Amino acid sequence: MKRGFAVVTDSTADLPDEWRDSYSIEVVPLKVLFGEETFRDRVDMTDQDFFRRLGAATKLPTTSAPSPGEFAAVYERLAKDYDSCISIHLGAQLSATAEAARVGAQSVEGFKVHVVDSETVTMPMAFLCRIAAESPTMEAAVAAVEERVPRCRVLALLDTLRYLEMGGRVSRAQALIGTILDLKPLLLVADREIKPLERTRTRARAITRMVEFLRTELPVEHLAVVHGQARDEAESIAAGLRSELPGLEIPIGAIGCVLGTHTGPGALGLVYIKK
Amino acid sequence: MAAERAGAVDGQLFKRALLGSLSWLSANHEEVNRLNVFPVPDGDTGTNMLLTLQSAVEDIKESGATEVSKIAKLASHGSLMGARGNSGVILSQIFRGFARAVEGKTTLTPVELAAAFEEAANAAYRAVNKPTEGTILTVAREAGRAATAAAGSPDANVPRVIAAAAAGARAAVLKTPSQLQILREAGVVDAGGYGLQIILEGMLKTVEESEALLGSHPQARAAIPAAVQASIALPEGGWGYCTEFLIEGTRLDVEAIRTQIEALGNSVLVVGEPELVKVHVHTDDPTRVINLAGGYGKLLKLSVGDMSTQHKRIREGEGAPAERRPNGVGLVAVVAGSGLVEIFRGLGVDAIVEGGQTMNPSTQDMLSAVESVPYDEVILLPNNGNVVLAAKQVVGLTKKRVRVVETHSVPQGVSAVVAFRADRPAEENAKAMKAEAERVQTIEVTHAVRDSRSNGLRVKKGDVIGLINDKLEFTGLDYVDVVNKALGKLGPESFELVTVYRGAGASDEELAKLESDLRSHYPSLEVEVQQGGQQHYPFILSVE
Repeated sequence: MKRGFAVVTDSTADLPDEWRDSYSIEVVPLKVLFGEETFRDRVDMTDQDFFRRLGAATKLPTTSAPSPGEFAAVYERLAKDYDSCISIHLGAQLSATAEAARVGAQSVEGFKVHVVDSETVTMPMAFLCRIAAESPTMEAAVAAVEERVPRCRVLALLDTLRYLEMGGRVSRAQALIGTILDLKPLLLVADREIKPLERTRTRARAITRMVEFLRTELPVEHLAVVHGQARDEAESIAAGLRSELPGLEIPIGAIGCVLGTHTGPGALGLVYIKK
Repeated sequence: MAAERAGAVDGQLFKRALLGSLSWLSANHEEVNRLNVFPVPDGDTGTNMLLTLQSAVEDIKESGATEVSKIAKLASHGSLMGARGNSGVILSQIFRGFARAVEGKTTLTPVELAAAFEEAANAAYRAVNKPTEGTILTVAREAGRAATAAAGSPDANVPRVIAAAAAGARAAVLKTPSQLQILREAGVVDAGGYGLQIILEGMLKTVEESEALLGSHPQARAAIPAAVQASIALPEGGWGYCTEFLIEGTRLDVEAIRTQIEALGNSVLVVGEPELVKVHVHTDDPTRVINLAGGYGKLLKLSVGDMSTQHKRIREGEGAPAERRPNGVGLVAVVAGSGLVEIFRGLGVDAIVEGGQTMNPSTQDMLSAVESVPYDEVILLPNNGNVVLAAKQVVGLTKKRVRVVETHSVPQGVSAVVAFRADRPAEENAKAMKAEAERVQTIEVTHAVRDSRSNGLRVKKGDVIGLINDKLEFTGLDYVDVVNKALGKLGPESFELVTVYRGAGASDEELAKLESDLRSHYPSLEVEVQQGGQQHYPFILSVE
């Protein structure tokens, strides 16, 4: 007995567990590799375990996208209960995940998969998943999601650019990295790019500037605060924003192992979909 | 005859007067340096004025112009290009005012000369945002008034007008401590004002000699090369190569060689016998000097030393960004100390002008750096209170749109550069950079260079002293002691990060002690240590 369409995403959406369960969203894990050891993001390793291990690691971990075969296996399983799915993934400028999903989908017959390159990362993807899940039809879901992709933004404060740079996601010139001084960079993921916005010397100043930047981006449709091992700061930022923007729910999300590999500990993000 | 000739100032007399000023200031500039109100090692007012004056006469030396207006214009242009430090910049404005006042005039009567002195002082007042009495400005004005009074007397002549100006200056200088509390506390007269007095006295010596000698001893002009010789003692800087050699030949004309070499450089020394001549020159074009000298005879002991790495770097375009910035805005910063230079480079500064507290770069140095940057808009960071005024002069000297973000210290400069965004227009950047620079607190630790009283503190030569935002706040037994007092005053609980820029004068032990002390006293503060390599300040701390 087939019923409607499924919603698939990957582990970098930082989808809250409640959303996953209440909307029956399927999450395909990316992987993090510490040397020879492979862990499935959010399955074999929690974000807490990851950051503990990252702190102790002599060599930095690497990450990998799910294989097309892994996607095919997921789609085949879903094909039993659904007639189609919308599969919303990490920006193709950052990862091969969306491409793996597309290739995987081709090997599953009789099941329509619409792969969406979200061009973004972390909770904007989660918002897109929820919007899809609340849509009456697959067509409506695709339209609602694709229309919002260009309006997704991740405003990120990293404690250091070291991880992002070593992961090859940003060039030195792009980040205007001060090679000697310890700087707190503020980055914006938008328009398929990671743009350096500002640099500050202190974290407190960076947080202030991050919130000030958000104010210039208002109004927003959805807004979340995400963090890597910085829950207290995320809570206090969210509390401030909730009183400033009473119409928004502003959930808090914890970033997983794969994204954490590229941000390092102490990352904070204001993520939103512009109106 | 003599009185009649000296009754008016023509171009050549004015030229000799300026050379006389240069000579007299060369002989006395160290004394001006010693009039240091503040016990920090920035006693370079005399040097700054001397370098400015030297630049003023640079183009005049070869000029045979008989019109006083032409010589005054050359002096105005030259002083502006070479202006260093606040007093130097004000001096350049005095020359500018003088040049404006004598525009179109071939000679000056005593009355016209006095009026030009007065206008020179007025121009200097206009150039300064908030004129302060008891400084070079007051001295210039009083000199002008005295000159005007003397010019009104029936037996007025040029030497008497200049003598009155010099006397007026001297009287005004002596009064400066009663006008400025910092001078009174330090027990000194104003250095810039005293420098101006010396310049007027140098003029007076020359015109008095001219008056006495013009009639019967025309060959006595040989006194002038003293000015040229004196310039050898100047600190090196601003000229690319120190070029030295001996010319071996027969019947060498020392005077002719000197005249030609002088056209090619600075700090010229040409001495010797008809068979062997020693040449020393600072020049940007050693090849031309060598070719010229080679025409006279055989060159011996040739040495060419690159003196000015800063110019070299600018020429070679080092530090130019790999990618063009989207906003088309270049960054130029004034910094000294190898570590600090690297830090500013690393932050994306396109051209560095080496200089700071003890060696204020000239307007020309900064102008060259601005011109070297491949952008039409440039943001210039002086990073020292004494450089701000000279930096501002650059704005009017280039076709490029230059904005000076008035940073008064290295920490302010770092904060400003950090706030720069490559995707933001220059005006917005300048505003944001200024705002960020003002958020940072600067602590500087150094030794007093003389006994003094400043800001109510009695300081003995050699004492460790601590400055917060350029203001002397503490004296102490050692660096750590002074830093702790300064941090205590700032209230470390309201700050997050202390960056320590370690200077050339701080030992590893002193650094280790300071660092461990900071960490144990202020556990919530983040402490970052950078090798600044700056002179005179063993530690500069940025607190934010």
